[in-house]
Amino acid sequence: MITGNLKASYAADEQVFDNRNKRAFLYAALLGLAALAGFADDYVILVACQMGILLIAVVGVNVVTGYTGLISLGHAAFVAVGAYTVTIFHEAFAGAIPEGLRALIAIPVAMAVSALVGIIVGLPSLRVKGLYLAVATLSANFIVIFLIEQEVFAPWTGGMVGIDTPAPDFLGWTLDTKREMFVLIAALGVLTLLAVQNLFRTRVGRAFIAIRDRDYSAEIMGISLLRTKLTSFAISAALCGLSGALFAYFYARILPEQFELALSLELVAAMIVGGMGRTMGPVFGVAVIVMVPEVIKSIFGVATGGEAGVAQLLAPLQEIAFGLLIVLFLLFEPLGLNHMADRALRALNRWPFAR
Amino acid sequence: MGQFLQFAINGLMSGAIYALIAVGIVSVFKATKVVNFAHGYVIMVGAYFYYTFAVLIPGAEWAPNWLAAWQPGWLVEMREGLPMFSPMGAVLDWVQNLPRIALGLAGAVLANAALGLVIERTLMRPLMGQSVFAMIMITVGLISILAGAVQLVWTADADFVPHIAPNTPVRFDVGETTIFLFGADIVNMVVALLIFAAIVAMVRFTKSGVAIRATAEDQSTAYSMGISVPKVFSRAWMLAAATGAVAGAILATRNGISPSLGLFGFSVLAIVLMGGLDSYVGVLIAALAVGVLEAMTQWQLGGDWAEIVPYVAVLIVILIRPHGLFGQKEVERI
Repeated sequence: MITGNLKASYAADEQVFDNRNKRAFLYAALLGLAALAGFADDYVILVACQMGILLIAVVGVNVVTGYTGLISLGHAAFVAVGAYTVTIFHEAFAGAIPEGLRALIAIPVAMAVSALVGIIVGLPSLRVKGLYLAVATLSANFIVIFLIEQEVFAPWTGGMVGIDTPAPDFLGWTLDTKREMFVLIAALGVLTLLAVQNLFRTRVGRAFIAIRDRDYSAEIMGISLLRTKLTSFAISAALCGLSGALFAYFYARILPEQFELALSLELVAAMIVGGMGRTMGPVFGVAVIVMVPEVIKSIFGVATGGEAGVAQLLAPLQEIAFGLLIVLFLLFEPLGLNHMADRALRALNRWPFAR
Repeated sequence: MGQFLQFAINGLMSGAIYALIAVGIVSVFKATKVVNFAHGYVIMVGAYFYYTFAVLIPGAEWAPNWLAAWQPGWLVEMREGLPMFSPMGAVLDWVQNLPRIALGLAGAVLANAALGLVIERTLMRPLMGQSVFAMIMITVGLISILAGAVQLVWTADADFVPHIAPNTPVRFDVGETTIFLFGADIVNMVVALLIFAAIVAMVRFTKSGVAIRATAEDQSTAYSMGISVPKVFSRAWMLAAATGAVAGAILATRNGISPSLGLFGFSVLAIVLMGGLDSYVGVLIAALAVGVLEAMTQWQLGGDWAEIVPYVAVLIVILIRPHGLFGQKEVERI
């Protein structure tokens, strides 16, 4: 139970960050990100950018799976749609739209196209749920990647060999270094988290949660399952599309195989590890999912002294660690790291009294 | 017409193997209500066990010579004077490989059954009674663990394994066209269908089969009737893994051995949902139908289109009949 969180006005009660600690955390996090952008070395920036891109996509998966309770194993497809839309948009409007405006238009377009694809992929969710939906979304992922790889679309998508992506240019500010990209990614990441935190204080967001908890009851309460489930898919796909757009801007080249099932599983794994249906869950989850392979890599490098013969064991080890993360969290902490953090904070709050 | 028949037969043959893979998913689902997303990877491990027992062990220095190539006097005698690529030669090649094929299959089935038991005990049993989501995601985590473990133990290099039947070409005429098949493919199909039939018969008629069906019907009632439900669970997993080993061996002889064998599991998962998760008949029909559809797509549109056939098919079927062609509609309590 939260104690000492007293309000004197409705306005104070309606705030997103309704107590001092949360506000302090927000400012500290913003300061931390600014410090990272200013002083971190290139390797840290690179890892942080990967985290940020993945984070936005995981937040998207969290909306549909964590909050609405619709299992999706196909969200990599939406990331792919976002990434390819941005690339194709830059290509197609090379002359029509001035350089400085193109990225500003391309990102919303990518989100819109992803949302549209999300609505189409979400259609089976009206008839099936649980396992059947998981397989339906997985199938959708295979089909989308297959279409991207087709020779027919190769002039636009580059086919199997991938395509070079543009560097974004915001009103003359070209983001051609990783550090500048980090500023953009971090800003959009924070915005996404704030938007999602807010979403679940609105009518639509609460309808999502009602559907997760019991879809029939939600329907009886007057929530339109059709509209709400599709809205959920659209929002989550749009976020994945945003992540894909940043993915395309961040890397010099995109390949269809980057968006296969492995990425979908990574997104879901990050959500499970962090904590489903919690705003900060994806942050914890992404940090772990991105850091663990890096940590294994550095430990492995120290332990073997960088011999070439054993270097090929690294990738399998990382893969096993990834699987173990999912399995161990489901077995021992199904509510994720966020729940562990909650418990620690609660204990700290009540110290020296009982936990 | 002749070409159509050729591709239809090819499709039926791969459909039978899909059915053999699918039977593992259905058996586990019937007993435990868990859908095993990692079944393709269990199969891949089975294929690697077959590779170990049929190629690596006979090839080892300490292994007796007859294990790698069995050459009794009469065999050597019969081989002499045979022309190259004669059907008889293929049969004799197979006889020569017989010891290692037998060792490979036996070893793969036993080792994979043990793997199934380990998975059930360590991962599935602690989750008894948990949500569908947790169960699905545990098997998803298992995918990475198995894929990584295989690359760690056997490395990711592709290799070949001996066919489990003589690979003689078989030709016969239908109308004016010639149908061209391989002996090994026909035997594979027969083996797959026999195992499928044996499992269906087992579930229908034997005591442990009745226990599986009773558990599927109602776990707590089965418990109170004296059925050991945990034992049923581990039996179902061992059964699935053992049939998976045979399926893996067959797939490995067709496609060569590589970590990408695990991907078959996903298309078979689609087939299983198409047929209805708890219906053996439905799954058999769906497997054969998808096999034929794939072959037809390959014929008309080219090989790479065939790989998405199961996924498109399952999407269409799920949209029209949410519980598959022959699946039971779930009754849900509100």
